[in-house]
Amino acid sequence: MGEQAHGSVSSQFYSNENDTTIDMTTSEKVVELLNQAALISTEEKLIVLKQVQELIINKDPSLLDNFLDEIIAFQTDKSIEVRKFVIGFIEEACKRDNELLLRLIANLNMLMRDESVNVVKKAILTLTQLYKVALQWLVRTKSVSDMQEACWDMVTQMKEDVLGLLDSDNDGVRTHAIKFTETLIITLSPRTPDSDTPKKQEGDISLDKIPRDHTYIRYDTLCEEGKSALEQLLKFMVHPAITSINLTTALGSLATLAKQRPMFMSEVVQAYETLHANLPPTLAKSQVSSVRKNLKLHLVAVLKHPSSVDFQGQISTLLLDLGMSQSEITRCTPATVQPRKRLHHEPYVEGKRIKMEAPLVEDDEDKEEPAPVVTPKPSSSVPSSAIDLTAEFLLPLLNPENVANLVLISMVYLPEVMPASFQATYTPVESAGTDAQIKHLARLMATQMTSAGLGPGLELCKARDEEVKEEDGGAGESSSKDPLIIRKLSAVSLGQAISVVGAPAAYKSPVTEEAPQIKKLPEPILPTTQPKAPGASGRKKVFKLADVVQPFSEDQIAKLTDMAIRRILQSEKTIAQSGMSHVRVKLLARLVTQFEGGKKNDLLHFILEDMRGRSELAFSLLYHEYNEYLSQQPSGSLDSYEHCLFTLLSGLQEKPEQRDGLFTKLVLEAPVITDSALEVIQRYCEDESRVYLGMSTLKELILKRPSRQYQYLNVLLNLSSHEKEKVRSTALSFIKRMYEKEHLKDCIEKFALTYMQFLVHPNPPSLLFGAGEDTEVASPWTEETVRQCLYLYLSLLPLNHRLVHELAAVYTEAIADIKRSVLRVIEQPIRGMGMSSPDLLLLVENCPKGAETLVTRCLHILTDKVPPSPELVERVRDLYHKRVPDVRFLIPVINGLEKNEVIQALPKLIKLNPIVVKEVFNRLLGTQHSEGSSSMSPLTPGELLIALHNIDSSKCDMKSIIKATNLCFGEKNVYTSEVLAVVMQQLMEQTPLPILLMRTVIQSLTMYPRLAGFVMNILARLILKQVWKYPKVWEGFVKCCQRTKPQSYNVLLQLPPPQLASVFERCPEMREPLLQHVHSFTPHQQAHIPASIMAVLEANTRKPEPEPQPELLHPEIIEEREVPVPKHISMPAPVSQPEPLAPTPVVFAEPLPPPPLQQQQQQQQQQQQQIPPRREEVEEPMEQEETDHASLEITPEAPLQQMEVSEEAPQSNSISEKTDEPMEETAAMPVDVADEPKDESEDVVSEAGESSVD
Amino acid sequence: MPADPLRVAVVCSSNQNRSMEAHNILSKRGFDVRSFGTGTHVKLPGPAPDKPNIYDFKTTYEQMYNDLVRKDKELYTQNGILHMLDRNKRIKTRPERFQSCREQFDLVITCEERVYDQVLEDLNSREQETFQPVHVINVDIQDNHEEATLGAFLICELCQCIQHTDDMENEIDELLQEFEEKSHRPFLHTVCFY
Repeated sequence: MGEQAHGSVSSQFYSNENDTTIDMTTSEKVVELLNQAALISTEEKLIVLKQVQELIINKDPSLLDNFLDEIIAFQTDKSIEVRKFVIGFIEEACKRDNELLLRLIANLNMLMRDESVNVVKKAILTLTQLYKVALQWLVRTKSVSDMQEACWDMVTQMKEDVLGLLDSDNDGVRTHAIKFTETLIITLSPRTPDSDTPKKQEGDISLDKIPRDHTYIRYDTLCEEGKSALEQLLKFMVHPAITSINLTTALGSLATLAKQRPMFMSEVVQAYETLHANLPPTLAKSQVSSVRKNLKLHLVAVLKHPSSVDFQGQISTLLLDLGMSQSEITRCTPATVQPRKRLHHEPYVEGKRIKMEAPLVEDDEDKEEPAPVVTPKPSSSVPSSAIDLTAEFLLPLLNPENVANLVLISMVYLPEVMPASFQATYTPVESAGTDAQIKHLARLMATQMTSAGLGPGLELCKARDEEVKEEDGGAGESSSKDPLIIRKLSAVSLGQAISVVGAPAAYKSPVTEEAPQIKKLPEPILPTTQPKAPGASGRKKVFKLADVVQPFSEDQIAKLTDMAIRRILQSEKTIAQSGMSHVRVKLLARLVTQFEGGKKNDLLHFILEDMRGRSELAFSLLYHEYNEYLSQQPSGSLDSYEHCLFTLLSGLQEKPEQRDGLFTKLVLEAPVITDSALEVIQRYCEDESRVYLGMSTLKELILKRPSRQYQYLNVLLNLSSHEKEKVRSTALSFIKRMYEKEHLKDCIEKFALTYMQFLVHPNPPSLLFGAGEDTEVASPWTEETVRQCLYLYLSLLPLNHRLVHELAAVYTEAIADIKRSVLRVIEQPIRGMGMSSPDLLLLVENCPKGAETLVTRCLHILTDKVPPSPELVERVRDLYHKRVPDVRFLIPVINGLEKNEVIQALPKLIKLNPIVVKEVFNRLLGTQHSEGSSSMSPLTPGELLIALHNIDSSKCDMKSIIKATNLCFGEKNVYTSEVLAVVMQQLMEQTPLPILLMRTVIQSLTMYPRLAGFVMNILARLILKQVWKYPKVWEGFVKCCQRTKPQSYNVLLQLPPPQLASVFERCPEMREPLLQHVHSFTPHQQAHIPASIMAVLEANTRKPEPEPQPELLHPEIIEEREVPVPKHISMPAPVSQPEPLAPTPVVFAEPLPPPPLQQQQQQQQQQQQQIPPRREEVEEPMEQEETDHASLEITPEAPLQQMEVSEEAPQSNSISEKTDEPMEETAAMPVDVADEPKDESEDVVSEAGESSVD
Repeated sequence: MPADPLRVAVVCSSNQNRSMEAHNILSKRGFDVRSFGTGTHVKLPGPAPDKPNIYDFKTTYEQMYNDLVRKDKELYTQNGILHMLDRNKRIKTRPERFQSCREQFDLVITCEERVYDQVLEDLNSREQETFQPVHVINVDIQDNHEEATLGAFLICELCQCIQHTDDMENEIDELLQEFEEKSHRPFLHTVCFY
């Protein structure tokens, strides 16, 4: 295969090339194409072959002969389409070159016997064309060769074959045969001036163009053949089991005949009449309307033809019956210009036409009963048809009495069920009893009688025909060379002879009254009515049989029935081939329903073996079972039906796989879904591999069976809390779709709410555990059971926000465990609702008591990824201020609040659980969202830190504040050295100084050692602000100096002596180094040190008397000294700054004023340079000090605070890690706290590490 | 049969709603399908029942669309006409009249009885040449959007079933009967010849 495909591609490629090179001759091209065609796939082959056909038929017909055989070789191709192409080719070729008929007709003949009906049909179509071609060709040739004769004989033979196909058992083949017959009749009859000939067939041959003296073609023979074809067509039409399509086709053909050959008008109209009165009983209702519509259409067409003049009465009666209004009919009737036109073909019609009615009749009928004598009204001028004659005969007999008798008698023969055709055609008789109506009735009866082979008119006509035939027959026999025709003719005349025998007898017998006639009449009709009620008559016979035959024993009966049924079962294939499988199915179903037990199960097993192939049987059986149940109403039981349905459904479930929705079909088409069937459906739904199928079936049930809709819905709803995830989610998605339906909405909602209401109970109801019912006892709620109650509700929530209030109601009543679970599961749906949901906003606004946590959770979910909307903020603010002053509400919307609101809330916020505090800070600092920019904090990081320092210590314990500031320091990315510098600067400028100022300074310094210079300035400025007046700050000040020595020496020297003394009191170890530092000054520098200072420095010797003085003095000094600041700054700082290494910098005699902000940068840079070497010295002591230091920081604060804190303080002094535990308990601050100090110390260490790298 | 795809024509009155809906679905399912109207004009609903918008078959869907937008965009958006035209113009340029089409089909499906009659009348008035049969089936569909959609699916199912028959002409009768039962609507069915 692959090779072939490859070949085709390459050859196509090749052929493309060929197209471009025009040099190639047509012949070569054809060869090329034919070579390709042999190898490629069907579709491509067709394309290629069509190209060839175009080339050799149209482009260069001279090649036709050369390549004929090559193309014809494809007639054995596997593909139907290719074979059909060959037929088409034969047609085209023969039309182009008639001589080819000689060679090709046999091929066509062969193809006409093809196994595929589609090929046969195509062959018939082609023969339809070629018949004319062949005839014309022969007529043209004056001297006909043997070959031609043989060819024509074959064509004639084929024509007969096609006519024979009118009895084919394939509908389509029959249809084609009808059309062939139509053309044949037209060809084999003369065209007359009043013929309506289509323009394109203007040149076609017809009987009138055939010379009577042709050497081979016999005019008469052809004429006869045409007539016999018409006979066959007419006969075909009255077949009682004709299909609607064949009938339609035939009706159309007749109309064409009437129009193109008006000489047949009478036959056609009669055929229409007969048909109208005797629509085949096999037609379904809609088919009847289709056929009637067609009949109407064709009648109108015929009516429009001028030659219909003589039949206008009959046609309009028919049309009226078919529901056309009189005015419409008149509109279609041509003006009667030439009423005599019909005379033109009178000579031809005479005798010959009428003869054709004979075969319509079943000849043997007339033997049985002598027909009534014909009224002696010799149809002198115009020979009337048999129907006309019979109608005339009947007319006087139709008096009220006779008609009444007729009606009564025919009652007996009425079918049990009104046939569809009657139902469709019945219109109340309006003009009953009028002459016109009686005439119409007579004619109707005459039509029936004639078609049944009865009536005086018929006899008369036959007699008349006979005479003609005698002459014709003789002539035909003598002149015809065609053996076929001869055989045909003799057969016809033979049949005729029989009828003749009966006819005279009929005339002789005396006129009997209506009675015998009536007895006779219905019988021929019976065959048509019989098929309508086969059941009734069939059953009767069975009973008769039972009378005659010896009864079997029970066992025998059982055995026989078993065997019979088995045989029917096993004959599946054979019967299917015969096309009667529907009968078998019906039979089986009906039989089996009448028996109990075993046979049913056998049949069910049989069905299940091949459910797909035997679904028809399954349905049939099911319906019969149901019927059985209905017929036993009201006492009937559904058990048997239920068993059947249940077995089928469960059987299907056990099958490994079925895609074709048989299950769905079975469920949906079952008349009743019983409980057990519903269980099977539920099993389907619970089967993970079938869940979709099951549920979509269930959905169909819910939507299409409204009477028990809620029961089905309930099944689906129950599945929504199924333990299997797939089942559950599928059920939920189905329910969600159904939730859109107004009438189901309530039910679904109620169910969801009921389930949710379970959460109020102390224990989960047994319902949740499926079948096991006594689990009620004490099994506690689990996460799983809680979820089960909520699945449906939660999936509805985003669709109907109103439901959220119900949740709040349930939530308030539920126990803590459930609350926790609820909080966990609502995230998805709440997020789905979005913060703009009015109901959600309402919930926030109302916030039922007990649902605070729920509301908070909702708020968190909503603001997790996006900043809060103003509406939401507004609701929360309201709630907070007016109803529930729980600061936690504010957290989710904190970024939506005003700055001062945040600052107000801060004291409360930082008292919360550390984790929560951390989150608050994350939100405020924008460190929470990765997007960052989306939420704009109302506070800048600096403002936040400042706000923390300014918290009134009466509102919040210092400890919390410290922790909060620590959190800030933890965010190093946010709190850069710049930010901290600004914070320090601003804090320092406040009055009074914030308690935590120095702590923050020290911490900043720890984090960013390069801030040392800046800190020195701060310290200096603090001196100006008389820092010693604030004990806490003063303590920190000293500590800071201690940590920053030796840089801080210069600062210390600026202190007034009493304060300096106080420093030494606190840390005596500072004195000696400071003194040494001073000693290292140049004498000039030393001169600047006031004596009082020196006195303090040289401590032990002197007493600290002059304390009050310097305190007074100092501010002045400072003020004086402030003046030269600019000067000092203008001096190149670098020169002086690096000196601290060298112990005596001269310049530093004067105290350092705080540098303006602009200089910070510069200074920091400078300091960076100087820090590293010094760091190495300082590092270790600092580290060691750290713990002490931290504890020291806290101790002094303690007394200021409330009792509780001070209690802790001493404990926390000792070792920071130990302090954590008690704190955790009292302040309910878990986990995080333990980390905090560690972090801090780690920070310090790492800071140190980093700086050492510097 | 399955070898060569069914050539299908779907016909309604104006070649706008029902036939186009079916055209749309059928072509999506891979059928060789064309759609037509049988009316003398193309009629679309107007501001009042007695004031339809009338176009000839030469007007493109695009032009109609623009015309209606100009006349009353809101009305025609609201009653779905613009949406329909928009769909149509993506299928083909303009409506086509069945009576003017000479192409041969295997199956012609009409959407109401009046149209069926017109199709039959037209097919029967043509001169027969090849005698190639064409089956004409009427499926009654009300002329509104919902019914058109439902009808289109029914038509599509019908076509698919017909396409899958081994011998269409032999089985179509039974098939239609089955469909009648299933869909609870009668089908008119006949055969004409080209």
